Amino acid sequence: MKKKLLALLCAAMLLLSLTGCAGSGKTSNDELVLYTWEEMFPQEVLDGFTKKTGVKIIYSNFDYDETMLEKLTQAKGGDYDVVIADDYIIEQAISAGLVSEIDKSVVTNFSNINPRYQGQFYDPEDKYTVPYGCGIPLIVYDPAAVDFEIKGYNDLWNPALKDSVAITANYRVINGITLLSMGKSMNEEDLDVIAQAGEKLLALAPNIRLIQDDNTQNALLNGEAAAAFLYTSQVTQVMAENPNLKVVYPEEGLGFGIMAAFIPSNAPNKQAANEFLRYLLEPEISKACMEYIGYVNTTGAADSIVNPMLVAPESAGSGEFIMNVSEEANDAYNRNWTAFKAACGQ
Amino acid sequence: MKNKRFSFPAFYLAVVTLVTYLPIAVVVLFSFNDSKLSVAWKGFSLRWYESLFRDAALMEALRNSLLLGLVSCAFAAVIGTLGAIGMARVHYRSKAMMEYLSTMPIMLPEIILGMVFMAFFSLLRLPFGWLTLIIAHTSFCIPYVYLMVKARLVGIDKSIEEAARDLGASPVRAFFDITLPLILPAVASGCILSFAMSFDDVVISIFVNGPTLSTLPIKVYTQIRTGVTPEINALCTIILVSVIAILLLSSALRRKGRVED
Amino acid sequence: MNALKGAGRWWLCIAPMYLFTLVFVLGPVLYMVAVSFAQNEAGTGFRWAFTLENFSKMRDPIYLQCFRESFQLALSTTVLNALIGYPFGYFMGRLSAKGKRIMMFLIMVPFWTSSLIRLYGWLILLQAKGAVNNLLLALGIIDAPLKILYTYPAVLIGMVYGLLPFMILAVYTSVEKMDWTLVEASRDLGASRAKAFFTVTLPMTLPGLMSGVILTFVPSMGLFFIADLLGGNKIVLVGSLIQDQMTRGSNQPFAAALALVLAAMTTLMLWGYRKLTGTSELEGML
Repeated sequence: MKKKLLALLCAAMLLLSLTGCAGSGKTSNDELVLYTWEEMFPQEVLDGFTKKTGVKIIYSNFDYDETMLEKLTQAKGGDYDVVIADDYIIEQAISAGLVSEIDKSVVTNFSNINPRYQGQFYDPEDKYTVPYGCGIPLIVYDPAAVDFEIKGYNDLWNPALKDSVAITANYRVINGITLLSMGKSMNEEDLDVIAQAGEKLLALAPNIRLIQDDNTQNALLNGEAAAAFLYTSQVTQVMAENPNLKVVYPEEGLGFGIMAAFIPSNAPNKQAANEFLRYLLEPEISKACMEYIGYVNTTGAADSIVNPMLVAPESAGSGEFIMNVSEEANDAYNRNWTAFKAACGQ
Repeated sequence: MKNKRFSFPAFYLAVVTLVTYLPIAVVVLFSFNDSKLSVAWKGFSLRWYESLFRDAALMEALRNSLLLGLVSCAFAAVIGTLGAIGMARVHYRSKAMMEYLSTMPIMLPEIILGMVFMAFFSLLRLPFGWLTLIIAHTSFCIPYVYLMVKARLVGIDKSIEEAARDLGASPVRAFFDITLPLILPAVASGCILSFAMSFDDVVISIFVNGPTLSTLPIKVYTQIRTGVTPEINALCTIILVSVIAILLLSSALRRKGRVED
Repeated sequence: MNALKGAGRWWLCIAPMYLFTLVFVLGPVLYMVAVSFAQNEAGTGFRWAFTLENFSKMRDPIYLQCFRESFQLALSTTVLNALIGYPFGYFMGRLSAKGKRIMMFLIMVPFWTSSLIRLYGWLILLQAKGAVNNLLLALGIIDAPLKILYTYPAVLIGMVYGLLPFMILAVYTSVEKMDWTLVEASRDLGASRAKAFFTVTLPMTLPGLMSGVILTFVPSMGLFFIADLLGGNKIVLVGSLIQDQMTRGSNQPFAAALALVLAAMTTLMLWGYRKLTGTSELEGML
């Protein structure tokens, strides 16, 4: 009995250590670990880089920006070679010393970037990041199901839209557009104003059909919702499926989000990482990527060849970023959001 | 009368099973749909199956999931079965506490387990990858095996094993001849349960997987963010067909073996 | 071998589970307890400074409501599951060997398809232009599509659907190993079918029902995918609150505190259930 047990235990331990070793192997010089959301690149673009440089791309995914930052912190800026994430989280990564400067002697086509998307709050001197694409959440509605013209966020409160509005699930963005509809900033710090926004949000609850980050646009196609507040990629997708829908650039102001690429401070393969950034800035590659994910193109050199729907109109310049706020304000936003969701379910 | 009594259970089993299969039928159906969105039927197509086999990342995720499930399930089977057998026979004061702790991984919402594991593993400086995934998955597989075996042991008359001992069987012999065959169905269902849980787990895996590793549920989950492509429907259909084939084959083999005996 | 006579042998059996539990369950949980008393900092970090703030924040009616809703949903899910799953497991246990094999097979198959994908199947079925509505319209039962998706019943369907196999398997396991001669004996002694069921069968299968309840109730307290996917994110459960706080809300200590309370509630309820039904299975084994 004892022998059998010991043998079993030993076998178990051996297996554990073997598989453990296999998993923790370091990446070699001909590999590049790209860390971003799922479905951000067409396969041809990734294959093209491998063909060009011989470096194999390992495509690794996270679900939320915060997961990425957490992982990157645990890895002390190592493990990953190129990360693509949202603006505000990059600001945190940079201030935590997790990002290395871009080697512009390798990224020789840095000037391909549209200057409108440069010098932003998260990287004011353009030392660390290359913008990948820009998102502007917009309102889309079905004129056949809505008998008035939607011009801005405030129209979403119209009682005619009872139980027929779909919205995305980012608590800061939804708080943000409520603040915009009140003529305030999306990054309001005043707790009283945030509380007022919370009150106003509660009034929106009866109109909400669903709150969802994924496939929100489907609600417009399958008849669940008549109007929706959508991310850029969703807007592009839904318009491709049903061109009869109407896109609204809300009159109260726009939210603005940039996804940018950076190289972690202890990236195992920095040379390849810089080469990859140069590759991303090639107009043809940019075009292929943006048409695949449906985001607004940030590589100015590609503006003339990309689908015109993906080139931001002049008004996009006036967009406001979601930025980090004080802990108290963040708590208040969280509370607003939970109260709002609960009210929607009543 | 007798006939009538027998038909209600059959009817009930049939109806519930049918409802269980409805959503699966829809998933299979839309894997053949010639549209990227699963909203309306736009004609028959096999293109999602073609693109599925070209999708190296998805296939690798499938391999990883299978391996992870098998390894964690094997560990859990050994640890959980031994644990249940031992726990049934030892008595000490903090036993209930210990038992609660051992089954805790399925008492906690997954998200807590995931977040806690991630923080703890980095505290221990374990490299994120196979090791962390296997530990995490083993931890929530053990309770399934343990609970199943334990429920089975409760119903087993301990005196049978004692009788075998009295008749001269060694403890090892008594265990393998008497106890093991009796608990084997429970070990098997525990294993099946835990493999299925591991094969399906997304929340915990996301927190503890390494930079270069991805499992199938992680792929599905992250894809849902950007829209489920019918490739996933196609993959599920293939998995479904393989499971059916394997199960049918194994039962056919068993029957053949029995006939030859 | 001598040293392993008697209890020593059994202790050796437990050792691996013991070790694993202490290191990989107790350790992480204690860490979570510690974090729940830490001070949150803006961004994603926290500071090691003892505070009860994370717990006092929960007294806010909004957060209390989350607990109430989670509890309600878990309870209805479990009750429905037991009502549907117990007869299923029971009938299944009474089938012929061949019938059992076939049913086992039919239950196992869906188990291997991703649960997320199966929920997606329901989503397609229940939507306004989906199969269920089309069927009801075609049959003339309704004139306009029902709004089923993104309502409470839709969430309930998804929850029961996702957790039913656990209940069935647990009940089936205990029905399978039941000694039917006892039921026959009680019938021979003049007990009615119903009486035989309630006095013999039910108590004997209670451990199965009990583990079925554990396997259903506990996950449903924390499941939030289903409420998000089929409920349109409109029912705020503690699970989704924790997820919000962990990721987008980035307040880990508050998430840890919520988790702690949730874990405590679950434990308390399991304990209460055991007392109530008298299946103090732990005592039964001693």
